[in-house]
Amino acid sequence: MIDVRELGSLQLDGLREVANIGAGHAATALSQLTHRRILLDVPQIRITRLEEAAELVGPGDEVIAAVLVRVLGDATGRTVLILPRDTAVRLTEILLGRTGVTFPESFGELERSALTEAGNILVGAHLSALSDFLGLILLNSVPGLAIDLAAAILTSSYLNFGERADYVFCLDTLFRVDEGEHPLRGHLLLIPDGGSLEVILRAIRLG
Amino acid sequence: MSAGRVVVKVGDLKIAGAGATLVTVGVGSCVAIALYDREARLGGLAHVLLPDPSNGRENAPPGRFASTAVAGLLRLMEEEGARRARMFARLAGGASMFESLLSDGGRTLGMRNVSAARAALERVSVQVTGEDVGGSHGRSIYFHLDDGRLVVSSVLFPDVVL
Repeated sequence: MIDVRELGSLQLDGLREVANIGAGHAATALSQLTHRRILLDVPQIRITRLEEAAELVGPGDEVIAAVLVRVLGDATGRTVLILPRDTAVRLTEILLGRTGVTFPESFGELERSALTEAGNILVGAHLSALSDFLGLILLNSVPGLAIDLAAAILTSSYLNFGERADYVFCLDTLFRVDEGEHPLRGHLLLIPDGGSLEVILRAIRLG
Repeated sequence: MSAGRVVVKVGDLKIAGAGATLVTVGVGSCVAIALYDREARLGGLAHVLLPDPSNGRENAPPGRFASTAVAGLLRLMEEEGARRARMFARLAGGASMFESLLSDGGRTLGMRNVSAARAALERVSVQVTGEDVGGSHGRSIYFHLDDGRLVVSSVLFPDVVL
């Protein structure tokens, strides 16, 4: 299996491009859902010690919402939509067409369902774009929503799915929902399983 | 050893004495192992990720695994004058985040972590006097070394005192 610390610069560039294509389609889906403009940052490749996965996208003690989908097929792994508190609240309000959503307390079934479904649509768009671009069959599982501390969610996004390597890998695309003065931030993570990183690199002829 | 709030990061272990509070946040499928010697008013806390080192990984930090963390905490505490015969342990964590997606049928990593911690404590004859484990929510641990009180807090659940 590839040691993620030994990826070359060409490979890293290729993987960033893969993430960019996937996130671009997810952003289009999110824009259509919310009728807002979505801005995407250049995807970042994050390679950290397993212990540091807890703080992968910010402080580990912040309460976040995360929608996780397992990726199955020619390549396996997870994609995770990470929404900080403000984004989770505002996105839910936009989707439900009302204000006054509270989070994490009193975030009810309807709110959870709206956020989960939005995550599912985004991640679905993400994976189908990747599938087309890479020429691989990529299927998504049903989505799972967690509202908890970032450390618990991110660490479990690796460990609960069998990851045990010293260093872990993810493709992280930061997006912003244009919402007046205070754009809403979120992250779309693509976490290929160790063996699947090679499958993706071979698909872009950098394996 | 320091007083005040002592933060134990993921995969780490630390000990402290009276006046200090050992804290670790965001324990999901990980497990927090707390040891306390009431007489010495010394305590130790580990935030472990995995049950046991797999083959050839003996150079990994001891706080990563339940089996090695227990030995590590014991050694540090005994060096500071704690006695094994007086110690007791509490465990918190071992949740299954995204439980609906873990349809493998086998035991979850969270519960394997808890079992490994129990087994490691049994091997050194330290009794587990309290547990808040399982479920599908994360936990943060506040371990007060003045009196040994251990408070488990969660985002959507009331505090549990062990």
